[in-house]
Amino acid sequence: MLETFTPAVCGSRQRQILAQAVFAVAALATSAALGLVLGLAGGALGARHAVLAAAALALLAAAREAGLVPLPLPQARRQVPERWRFELPLPLWATGYGAGLGAGLFTYQPVSTFWVACAGALALGRPVPAALCLSLYGAGRAAMVVWPRRRSGDTTAAVERLAERRGTLLRANAVALLACGILLAVAPAAGGATLVVQDAYDPSFSDDVLAFATVDERVVVRPLGGGPDVVYPNASQPSLQGEYLAYVDAGGIRVVRWATGEEVGRVDNPTASHPALEWPLVAFVRRDPSYRRLVVRNLETGGYVIHVSVKPGFDLGRPSLRGGRLAWHVASRKQSRIVLKTLATGARRVVARSSIALLENPAVIGPRIAWVEGRSGVSHLRLGWVQAGRKRTTVESMRTRLRAYWTTSAGAGVVYSTRWTLSSGASAIYRTNF
Amino acid sequence: MNRVLSRESSTLDRSAERLSARLAESTTRRSFLGRLGAAALAVAGGSAVAAAVKPDEADAFHFCGHIWTTGSCPSPYPPLSRIDRKGYPLHPQSGKPIDNLGRVVDSAGYALDGSKDRLRGPDGNVLPPAPRTRVCEDWTREVKGLNDLRIQGSWFRCCGGQIRKLVDCCSFSRRRINGDASLVGYCWGGRRVYCVMYYDSGLPC
Repeated sequence: MLETFTPAVCGSRQRQILAQAVFAVAALATSAALGLVLGLAGGALGARHAVLAAAALALLAAAREAGLVPLPLPQARRQVPERWRFELPLPLWATGYGAGLGAGLFTYQPVSTFWVACAGALALGRPVPAALCLSLYGAGRAAMVVWPRRRSGDTTAAVERLAERRGTLLRANAVALLACGILLAVAPAAGGATLVVQDAYDPSFSDDVLAFATVDERVVVRPLGGGPDVVYPNASQPSLQGEYLAYVDAGGIRVVRWATGEEVGRVDNPTASHPALEWPLVAFVRRDPSYRRLVVRNLETGGYVIHVSVKPGFDLGRPSLRGGRLAWHVASRKQSRIVLKTLATGARRVVARSSIALLENPAVIGPRIAWVEGRSGVSHLRLGWVQAGRKRTTVESMRTRLRAYWTTSAGAGVVYSTRWTLSSGASAIYRTNF
Repeated sequence: MNRVLSRESSTLDRSAERLSARLAESTTRRSFLGRLGAAALAVAGGSAVAAAVKPDEADAFHFCGHIWTTGSCPSPYPPLSRIDRKGYPLHPQSGKPIDNLGRVVDSAGYALDGSKDRLRGPDGNVLPPAPRTRVCEDWTREVKGLNDLRIQGSWFRCCGGQIRKLVDCCSFSRRRINGDASLVGYCWGGRRVYCVMYYDSGLPC
């Protein structure tokens, strides 16, 4: 194929340069597009499993390249169609050649590294970084077209020189694959976040079902084990518990059996928001003229208890109600804190307090409690214990001033969190195992 | 200086290091004798001494006007601990008030977006104000666990065409934020410089 890009075949030196340029652009674009698709697929598949699979693949490939494990490679042993060169104008056939080779799927692969790169792009689970990474493959293809011209006019001789170093290249490739495998296996993403839903926020997780709000003012209930979404229009701020769903609508808070839509309770107050449901209790924030109050109402008896009252200068965030424990955050310009209250005993504990960080959006699950902490342009997902005296940990962090965590919800060994971009307001829900 | 002091030292260097720490603790910026002593010890062979008190140490020159070695106080934009007159954080470049997350805020404490409108969350609602607290008394106290921090001394330099006030955050601690011996600097009443901040006055120089 390299002999194609010569002045003799192209017609002149200028046409050779044009063909090489077009080939390079097509190869780069196609490999980037492949990375984009793989990144999208990885996001849908789940990064944790994909990362581990990529690590295993890289190690296997390293063993293959080292000659330890004889394995065939999946590939199409095709060459670029020669007739294109005779039938099509130069820009078209050069583009076709570049696209065919840049995609990598339609040509001979002497080593397994391409497939490891594909697995890595899948593992990233993020389209743009995956596209950038895999575009390096296209760059390599393009370099192979340009390189012989720089070193020698005879492309065949250039390829032969490269072939003489095949042994060294294969050993270097095996070492690189081994390093990739190890790095992937120990990468934070191996235990890290997985994109669950794009353009969504306010996750609420219960019994393998996830409810969330969307930017077009809908609440979606999605069974993660399979099954159709159940959508509630003109709704926001969902809270899910088993078969029940609470959400905010124009009149207040509505509680339904999410599968059927049957209403089982209401809080008729337009100032009520941020529900947290543990049937028959629903906790919510009520905006009175002089105070914001955190109220827990029993939807069966109609009785209610005010647990917290703060002045409007304080932010009383979305509460969490699980296992008879109520958690909430209070934030002001001077301080923020995460508070936990056991409803049966009335015992109250400040789980975390800070004069400098913004602590917000707690989620209780069993003996654990998760919340978001932000300061100095760094956003952390923290995990503590309901009981005092036990060590807190950081589930994960985002070290950027452009994005931050927002609302959370927790299940057994898993935290769902909203990540959002401050400049655009774009948001997505991620799952992180702990 | 940290790098030098934490390095494996020879016996001579270790002795010089101790001397340098004592010297550093007892000198002030304006102390000619301190610099003279440093020079004498450096000539005598204590390489760490020169590093301890040399005024133009590279890693101490972390913002304009600050030619000593004490590090910046923790702040929303580390290591640029720019403050207003009352010690609250400002954006290092624009000089606008920022909250503790580093977002530019209005006078009521609401974070602003690029269009200077109040920042809205993913749900479209205006985000509530986040904490905005003093860099010395609140930030450094919480991050470093010190309860006796005060803004005390200050000095002035010309930076970017305006007078910059460099401010000492002082503590009774004998260790400064760098982890080594603290200097008296412009602190008083037994306090020493724990970390430094700066305030741009806007006055031309």
